[in-house]
Amino acid sequence: MMQWTSFVQKAQSFIDPANFSLPTLSSSDRNPSKASLFRQQFRLPDSQNPLQEITAELILPIPHTPSSTSLGEPARNPVDRAGNRYAGRLHLSERFLCFSTQPTSFTPSTSLGASTHWAGQTNGTGPSGNGFTIPLCCIRRVERLNSLSHVFSLALTTWNGALGKQQNSDFAPQRFTIQLAGSRQACERFCDGLKKGLRECMKEIENLRLVVNNCYSEYLLSGTKAKAQNGEAPEARQPPDAGLGMMFRYPGDARKLRDRSKMRLWGEYFRENGRNATLIRQPTFHKLIRVGLPNRLRGEIWEVTSGSLYLHLRSPNLYTETLSKFSGQESLAIDEIEKDLNRSLPEYAGFQSEEGIGRLRRVLTAYSWTNAEIGYCQAMNIVVAALLIYMSEAQAFFLLSVLCDRLLPGYYSTTMYGTLLDQKVFESLVEKTMPVLWDHLTKSDVQLSVVSLPWFLSLYINSMPLVFAFRVLDVFFLEGPKVLFQVGLAILRINGEELLDIQDDGSFISVLKAYFSRLDESAHPRSENPKLRAITRFQELMVVAFKEFSQITHQTITEQREKHKDAVLQNIESFAKRTSIRNLGPDSKKLSMDDLGVIYDRYYEVLYDRQQRQKVEEEERRRQEKKRVERTSILGPPVDREIGRVGLGPSPTHMDYDAFRDFLAATAKWAVADSRGSSRKESTSEQGFNSFRGWGKSSALWNNKPEPADHEFTRRLFRKWATDPNEGLSLQNVVNGLARLKGPRDIMNNINYFFDLYDDEGTGQVDREGILRMSEALLFLSRRGFEGAITPTQSVEDVRANEQDQDKLSTDERFLGSVSSFIRRCFEYADPSHPDRAAEGQKDEDAAETADKLGSFSIGDDEEDLIDIDDDAKSIESAGTINPAKQVTEDKPNTHHNRSVSESANPALDPNNPLHITLPTFRMVILADELLEQFFDSFFPQSFRLSDHGLEALASSSLSSNLTTFSNIGAAKPQPSPASGASVAGASGGIVPPGKGLRGVLDNIVSDGIRMAAEVKKRMDEAQRELERSALNRDDEEEEEDEEYDPRSGVATTSAMVGGISSWGAGAYGADPERRSVRDADRDLLEGAEVISMRGKDDASLLDDKDDHKQDRGTHDPSHDDPNLVSKVEFES
Amino acid sequence: MSESTSTNTPKPSSSVKLVLLGEAAVGKSSLVLRFVNNDFQENKEPTIGAAFLTQKCSLPTRTIKFEIWDTAGQERFASLAPMYYRNAQAALVVYDVTKPSSLTKAKHWVAELQRQASPGIVIALVGNKLDLTNDGNDAAGETPAEAEGESAAAEGDETAGETQEGQDVTSADARKVPTREASAYAEEEGLLFFETSAKTGTNVVEVFTAIANAIPESSLKSGRAGGAGTGQTSLGSGRPAEDSRVNLGERGPATAKEGCAC
Repeated sequence: MMQWTSFVQKAQSFIDPANFSLPTLSSSDRNPSKASLFRQQFRLPDSQNPLQEITAELILPIPHTPSSTSLGEPARNPVDRAGNRYAGRLHLSERFLCFSTQPTSFTPSTSLGASTHWAGQTNGTGPSGNGFTIPLCCIRRVERLNSLSHVFSLALTTWNGALGKQQNSDFAPQRFTIQLAGSRQACERFCDGLKKGLRECMKEIENLRLVVNNCYSEYLLSGTKAKAQNGEAPEARQPPDAGLGMMFRYPGDARKLRDRSKMRLWGEYFRENGRNATLIRQPTFHKLIRVGLPNRLRGEIWEVTSGSLYLHLRSPNLYTETLSKFSGQESLAIDEIEKDLNRSLPEYAGFQSEEGIGRLRRVLTAYSWTNAEIGYCQAMNIVVAALLIYMSEAQAFFLLSVLCDRLLPGYYSTTMYGTLLDQKVFESLVEKTMPVLWDHLTKSDVQLSVVSLPWFLSLYINSMPLVFAFRVLDVFFLEGPKVLFQVGLAILRINGEELLDIQDDGSFISVLKAYFSRLDESAHPRSENPKLRAITRFQELMVVAFKEFSQITHQTITEQREKHKDAVLQNIESFAKRTSIRNLGPDSKKLSMDDLGVIYDRYYEVLYDRQQRQKVEEEERRRQEKKRVERTSILGPPVDREIGRVGLGPSPTHMDYDAFRDFLAATAKWAVADSRGSSRKESTSEQGFNSFRGWGKSSALWNNKPEPADHEFTRRLFRKWATDPNEGLSLQNVVNGLARLKGPRDIMNNINYFFDLYDDEGTGQVDREGILRMSEALLFLSRRGFEGAITPTQSVEDVRANEQDQDKLSTDERFLGSVSSFIRRCFEYADPSHPDRAAEGQKDEDAAETADKLGSFSIGDDEEDLIDIDDDAKSIESAGTINPAKQVTEDKPNTHHNRSVSESANPALDPNNPLHITLPTFRMVILADELLEQFFDSFFPQSFRLSDHGLEALASSSLSSNLTTFSNIGAAKPQPSPASGASVAGASGGIVPPGKGLRGVLDNIVSDGIRMAAEVKKRMDEAQRELERSALNRDDEEEEEDEEYDPRSGVATTSAMVGGISSWGAGAYGADPERRSVRDADRDLLEGAEVISMRGKDDASLLDDKDDHKQDRGTHDPSHDDPNLVSKVEFES
Repeated sequence: MSESTSTNTPKPSSSVKLVLLGEAAVGKSSLVLRFVNNDFQENKEPTIGAAFLTQKCSLPTRTIKFEIWDTAGQERFASLAPMYYRNAQAALVVYDVTKPSSLTKAKHWVAELQRQASPGIVIALVGNKLDLTNDGNDAAGETPAEAEGESAAAEGDETAGETQEGQDVTSADARKVPTREASAYAEEEGLLFFETSAKTGTNVVEVFTAIANAIPESSLKSGRAGGAGTGQTSLGSGRPAEDSRVNLGERGPATAKEGCAC
């Protein structure tokens, strides 16, 4: 039989995955809730993880009564005289050895998904079973016992009672035996883990000494002994601080509470089963707690049962350190605390004194610093005040932490979702257990939670007389939150009949008030039976709570919470949203409620998404480093706490630039990067996210999410919107930013806004560089098309000879032309920044320019041009780009004058003649172009999509309005649009009929631009001949290879960067700032004529995709694909 | 308010659910305490969730029993508020005349109530802590006669019923929210408007009386409590005999848009 079982165990050890895990393990904390259940079960700090577990039997020695034995002897071999035996599971964490008779298993079952399986029945109930939770540093010695039957037995000796200053000669160390039941390997493995843990924890014994010596139990036990022994009171024997009650009396009548006999019972229990950190829970322990704790031990037992003792042990000085660290600092929480100090349990004498108020202030303040997310919530003052009657400040500090983080999760958070959730849970339990009463309450329109909320929020402390509230707390700290529910249900059950008579809130409340005030009276005053008569209403309440509602377990509560959570959070969130939107200030009124709602949702979605991502990345990183979850501070929000919803607590308030990009990508099409890979490093880590489970919802979200583009324009927008760019964007900033753009339609406003974006110095001037960046941005914004927001006027184009070709031009293509002429015009009308020099230079330049262009015009007017209109339109674009590109390059101070052909093409671009445009110029240039005008009138604001998706309707209106606006600037009749001009490569655009006014002038410029484009085209062709191989084929329509640029030569790289425009539709300049900076750095190395020709080529192949694509592809694909990959790696590493 | 509770003649009585909202420490609980117990406590325990109190208010034609839900003011308790203003027929939105931010908060509450609470809810905007201002100090014994207050800066002047405690009577006027500003806002939104001092009792009873008068008869009939009023309308039809500050009683209903509907 023995053999058989060991076989089975062996077999199990192979099946049981836990046995395969390394001591440092990863399998367990892979599932966060498993570790957290473990922690909850044994009330361990967040740093602890279940490392090992094994079935075991705890064998306690027969208690030696002081009368029967001298204290010294039984220590000799107590193990042999085995007393109580308990079968259960033994667990090992980093710093604790835990045993519980309750079915607890935290090893993953074979099916990892079935979380209920390993949760056992306990669901993290808390240490209500028999057993112990002993810090490893408390274990003085472990001996392996040679036992008869191949049983693996360990005898543990603890430091129990041995840490005090005085050692008595008759001191008997606490010693007990644990028999491990498992395969030999399993046992060995467990022992190895234990050994390792013991070694590591040895250094913590000083902490232990520090904390334990402040425990009243130590004083109690040593005191008795001291008295018994020498009769002389040692001078050092100051009782440890057991709360304000020592000074101001404990509430209630000590005699009536039978405090003295309770004390004696506890003393006895401690002697037999250890105290504070080394206490072993036997059934008596639970009974002793149910009858109410004695005053002086109450604080200490709370500490032990709640587990706050273990936090305290970990950093005994945290409380004082926190106070001194933050001393003198101010915070909102402190202000709020200060308001409430004088009104916390004011009926207790201790809180009418400076002493009591001072303690309360310090504990609340210290906690608000350690957990800034919670800070201070009203009701905490009442709870802490109550704790301080029985505990020292440090004890209360740690206990408060356990309360906020674990026992009352979310109760005191900034949204108080935990409070609301538990009210819902309570209501549903009432409905289930007392349907008649529930019906009555519903019919009478009495909302239960308005009555029961304070019960939970302040733990019955200001609902019941204090003495009784403390009795509830005694059990609450041991058994957990379910106690609050059980007591609440019992209150309703006991008062059920009376409550069925009530009609409104008022009578409901008064029935319960009356009940609470008579808790000390007999529950059966008229009973014949004196024993029954002696039962108080409070006792009755406890019996009903724990007997009649024994079916309410921790699991019930957990399940119910899970069930109602979403609804509760949604309520809170919709409330928060309403409030938040309402508070957005006057600017927000420009946007519709729907729009604001959309912004709000999107804003938080992005922020939480980011938060989650960071969390996952963090975890992943830690996992890779094989580091265990170790928090920097032992207090603060639990590591496994939920985040990611507004309803759960304080939300992030600011969005950094990356998040802003995400936000924009969700808002505007142009803000979406052209390919996934083009956006920073995120894409690489994203692979990691998808690989592991548990992120279903959010990872799906990320996968479907468009990759945000990174462009100079978005950066400018970010800076413009932010109050403080370092801080990021608040919701307010975002709303204001969008309100400015999407508010009442106003083209002037939009134009001004755009100009402001580029007016870096705020001087009302945008220089050469700025102009180029503007045009770059225009192309960036438009590269995904206009969604019908812009329509060129068709009717006016009949003047053109090549009408048919004209029609073939898409709006996008025409827009290119518009942007091109935009640049031209900007430079044309720019004011010289150094007027004296510019004045003389201007004429020559103009002349030269014109001549040059005219010269090149004829060349441009070749066969190909006529046939391939597309090509031409695009080359205009390049014309506008190339020169700037070059200029940028040459702006570098130590650049040599490596002037290329391009310079002569447009001397206006000569860096020796700095120039700028002003807002009026900018406006004029914009309004001179139909497409640009429409762009600012409708497309730009519309491109930020909020709640408005219907763009079709807007498209038509944009046309008419653009005409009216044009007349605003005093021009004559709208003339053939410059957009159409872009296509007239061969037309005699230079000749302007007199009297055409401004528009005529502008048209003139356009034709200049066209001629210039033609010239560029020519050069491009030359370049093509020279550098055929460097041609790059892209498919901007399909966006397949969009982020690729030719990596073989830095030249192409440079061109792609400098003239971001060139990559219109391709997004090569998209999202990678690193890559970008590389190019920036290389820029001056790579300047020169080649730049131009190369990029000319570049553009040609890029833009001619319709015609040339296939051919290009065929020719060049093989040659450039691979290097591309290489470069990618380089830049991203 | 002992006088209004003593109703000797059997008048129709109805209950009105009233909720108090406002920033923390503006004196919501103190206003209620003054109204219900005619008492004032310097260190009132902070309200956890909400406190429930009742007080009767006697009008010539009927008795109104206020069921007062006094809510906690700390910001984070705001998410609990919907629980309390559910079904409320009246609301007291309180701010502190010495603290401009509290008026902002009050405006948010007004907006919230107008949007989310039962339609037709009677809202009174109340600037408390008048005792900290000069108006509260030197206007003792005066009875304000202004009909509509926004033009009169001294509108809130009111009997400083009790002698001032030394430390609060300072020559410096702590007022930060001009009466005009708040009353204009109240006018715009159709709210009753008062400036009160829970400490001295100034205007406290008047607020509740005005609300009682402004509650539409119809909503009382549908209300949960006993006898519906027999009078056609209580608005301006009469005033509590013992109430000398008639104008206030009248002004209230006049500005309550919902009140006049019936």
